[in-house]
Amino acid sequence: MKHLKPINDKARKLQQASSEDRIEEVLAMTSVAGCTATTDPGWEVDAFGGVTSLCQPMEADLYGCADPCWWPAQVPDLMSTYPDWNKDALSSAESWRNLNAVFPKDK
Amino acid sequence: MNNKNRFALVSTLALLAALQAHADTSGKALVKGHEYMAVTNTPNNLHLIDLKTESVYKTCEMPDRFGPGTLFISPDKTRAYVLNNNYRDIYGVELDTCKQVFHARLAQKAGEDARSMFSFTVSADGKELYAVANPMQRAIDHYVVGEPRMQVYSTDAGLDAKLLRSFPVPRQSYVMQAADDGSLYLAGPDIYKIDPKTGERTVALASRNWQRPGYSAPDVLYFWPHQQPNRDFTLLYTAARFADEKQDPETAEYLYGYMNINLKTGKTEVRDFAPLTELYFTGLRSPKDPNLMYGVLNRLTKYDIAKQQLIKAQELDHSYYCIAFNHAGDKVYLAGTFNDIGIHDAESLEKIGSIKLPGGDMAVSTTQVFIR
Repeated sequence: MKHLKPINDKARKLQQASSEDRIEEVLAMTSVAGCTATTDPGWEVDAFGGVTSLCQPMEADLYGCADPCWWPAQVPDLMSTYPDWNKDALSSAESWRNLNAVFPKDK
Repeated sequence: MNNKNRFALVSTLALLAALQAHADTSGKALVKGHEYMAVTNTPNNLHLIDLKTESVYKTCEMPDRFGPGTLFISPDKTRAYVLNNNYRDIYGVELDTCKQVFHARLAQKAGEDARSMFSFTVSADGKELYAVANPMQRAIDHYVVGEPRMQVYSTDAGLDAKLLRSFPVPRQSYVMQAADDGSLYLAGPDIYKIDPKTGERTVALASRNWQRPGYSAPDVLYFWPHQQPNRDFTLLYTAARFADEKQDPETAEYLYGYMNINLKTGKTEVRDFAPLTELYFTGLRSPKDPNLMYGVLNRLTKYDIAKQQLIKAQELDHSYYCIAFNHAGDKVYLAGTFNDIGIHDAESLEKIGSIKLPGGDMAVSTTQVFIR
């Protein structure tokens, strides 16, 4: 935790658990649960530190990640926040040019 | 035939072909004894593919939004139950007519949003449908996360299905299947055996909490609940096997394995089948030879389970998430991701055909193969 500074409640709780030597209480997720901060490699780098086990081409993995809100930071989530993101690109291989970047709306 | 006539004939044939391609096939009844594969895709289709002709036999248009499109075929093979509307609703569709005959919204009260992470199934007698709902209450300025619950419906509850009963289940639940003895097997942190009448729960197969000497906890990413003819419910895992008690990741072996529950006998099995050298999103054992494991993501591979050896590997045009066999076990169908299904010879693994689906990506949909 030397180089990381907590900026929200959850991160502060993690730091507190770490400083109280309660690391054992932190369990690895063993299943997909949707819209959680997963740190699985997979979008930029594969589980082996390379790229050969990334989906090929990346469009093949696009809606599989967008549908269940997997890696919501990397791919807009169709599940809750941007349900119409792919309405003009239902076939990602053929119409990926119609996909646009998304930006959070002002509160 | 002069050029003008030839042009007219070609144009007419092209028009007929186009009309055929867009024809309303929803009323075409399935043929008893024929083998079909069901799969969903965007914008919101349910396709029935005839595996004899390896072509789309009919397409049912589904209501509301797509996602994830996970589906189960009823035990009498007359209906498909599909989780859709961004994981919020379950729809029952009569396969012969495409008529919607069941609809359950998982949210139970005003202001509640409830989703199921691929977590639903139909009972072995076809009478009940089970779904895990992960509820969240929207308040004016905040959300309140509720306790996950199993919701039980009668499959003849119609288009506004009300709960028969419900009971709490663990967080992080995902795929489930129903056994012949009436119990439910629900994958979550462990794989639970649940009595759907009472909610009573035991651990059928330890996953996160397994006690395998020298092994790390397994990592599981699996949301393709294939209904297999031999009634196997299979999930893949990866795990590290450490060299010694120091548990040094640098010297550990990394392995692929499968967890299996036979829904007919209740027999459970956890077994390594390969060194972890590449990723597979799905894997199934051959219906012909249970010692052969097939896996797919960027390559289609075949392993000898007993020897933990790769027998063959086939490069693919693109990644596919979801593997399936025909009943004879001589063909492998690769689906998910885009909107084409790759057909491969189960022996040589070579690609022998392809089925292009009308509509867009299948994404994380599950293919189900069945005989009507």
